[in-house]
Amino acid sequence: MKTWIWILGSLYVGLLILASLKSFKKGRSAEDFMFAGSNIGLLLGVLTYAAALFSTFTFLGMPDFFRLHGIGAWIFLALSDGVMVFFLVWFAYHIRKKVQTMGFKGVAGLIGNTYGNKYAGYVIFLSAFLFLIPYVGIQIQGIAIFMQAAFPNSLPAWAWAALIVAVMLVYSEIGGFKAIIFSDAIQALLLLTVIWIIGGVCLNHFGGIKSMFEAIKVVDEKLLSTPGPNGLLTPQFLIASMIAIVMIPVTQPQFTTRIIVMKNLKSTHYMAVSLGFFAILVILPTLFIGMYGAQQYSEATKDEFFANAFLYDQSGFVAALAVIGLIAAGLSTTNAQIFALGSELRGLLKGDEKKVMRITKIGIFFFSIIALAFSLKISDQIVLLARVSFAGTALMGPMILLGILSNKKVGLLMIPLSLLALVIFLLSLADVIPNHYFGLRLDLILFILLSFAALLSHLFSNK
Amino acid sequence: MQIKSRGWKICIIIFVILTIVSFTPLIIPQGIYKPEILGIPYSLWSGFFITLALVILTFAGTRMHPGGEEKKTGK
Repeated sequence: MKTWIWILGSLYVGLLILASLKSFKKGRSAEDFMFAGSNIGLLLGVLTYAAALFSTFTFLGMPDFFRLHGIGAWIFLALSDGVMVFFLVWFAYHIRKKVQTMGFKGVAGLIGNTYGNKYAGYVIFLSAFLFLIPYVGIQIQGIAIFMQAAFPNSLPAWAWAALIVAVMLVYSEIGGFKAIIFSDAIQALLLLTVIWIIGGVCLNHFGGIKSMFEAIKVVDEKLLSTPGPNGLLTPQFLIASMIAIVMIPVTQPQFTTRIIVMKNLKSTHYMAVSLGFFAILVILPTLFIGMYGAQQYSEATKDEFFANAFLYDQSGFVAALAVIGLIAAGLSTTNAQIFALGSELRGLLKGDEKKVMRITKIGIFFFSIIALAFSLKISDQIVLLARVSFAGTALMGPMILLGILSNKKVGLLMIPLSLLALVIFLLSLADVIPNHYFGLRLDLILFILLSFAALLSHLFSNK
Repeated sequence: MQIKSRGWKICIIIFVILTIVSFTPLIIPQGIYKPEILGIPYSLWSGFFITLALVILTFAGTRMHPGGEEKKTGK
């Protein structure tokens, strides 16, 4: 396996270097560096969006989620993605229209302008920072776990994690957003190929879909329906998750940016459709891997399951592909998020462009170091951590949507309310306050209340 | 434009219905995995078809969306 990792790894690194050099342009403007000239076509658009969306969370997290919670995981992610892509068609039109009149230097900057109040931008940046950092940490940790399993007794987890962050920083610094988009394209194709190869091997182990579910019936019938063996996937959990996932293009700046840098609305729309098909294609094989895990490693820890299902049970070539595929999946999402945080920071800064870019690049470095530190502390299920990240940023959804949709002067009420909701949600995560009230999940209650407040704010705002 | 606009509204109505139905016992009956199709449990195959339907509806939505050509300004 190690020889294959060196061969495939060298090929992959070579492609990344090529992407960086191809994107490097002397004397490029800050706009070129941060937004790739806002001229991305359909194919690159789909692949970069997919690579940013489908990450370690999908590659490792979803098989683990299927293994522990059964087939309801399909509703949790794939069906919610189906809802998201339709929503994307509607949202892309409105945000691109707004950007045409107001310009774009990050979501926080844009929303600060729509409200005519810098604190709106600060609240959005705060939420992105608080909830994207753990998500980036997940990616880095996922890769580090895998590398340790592939190369036991070589480097400690923190050293692998630091190496990954260093690679990401180097190629995004050389090539900017364009290099990230090119590398995303490579990584999305690699992820799709690898996940299908491993999924195919796992399905083959059962001898077909029918036999797979027959085998799972013997393990635990509860895996074949919601809410699953642990009772997690209740309708309320699935609805709250769906809302959080649908809000991803609105509230996670790396996705909003990708909508805006598309060449035109038509390409953006077709990107949404292709993304829907991509989601089905990527999530389906994770079901096979998860069911394989449920049968073979039902009692194992997540690290043991990952190491066995992706490495030790596979041929040397497939295991090496899995290692490279995982690095690709994690790296593409990590750099998308860190770079997006950088562009959000830039949108909030004023003054000389050179100085702003210098602070932005220092900010990107600083965010990477925090994410690296966080990656060494995580011990929760990958999917549940990602879900918290989606739900946390989703709380900003009503405020952002109001800013984008309203043609009137927007009232400022949503700014303190969104901040308050953020604080309440954080308190519930820290177990200071309960996370259920009147039988309802707190994230769902907060989202409903904020949506209602946004509606009232719109109705009572002045022309 | 009128026909497009009406088509887009119909797409939205179907989208809302599909989304609501997806989270009712019609698609996710708690603890029930029958009827199966080719051994695939109920919520999985019905959820798969709804997902596919949503993506196809998204395609229809892109054809019906009334948004016109964008001006080359801004950004």
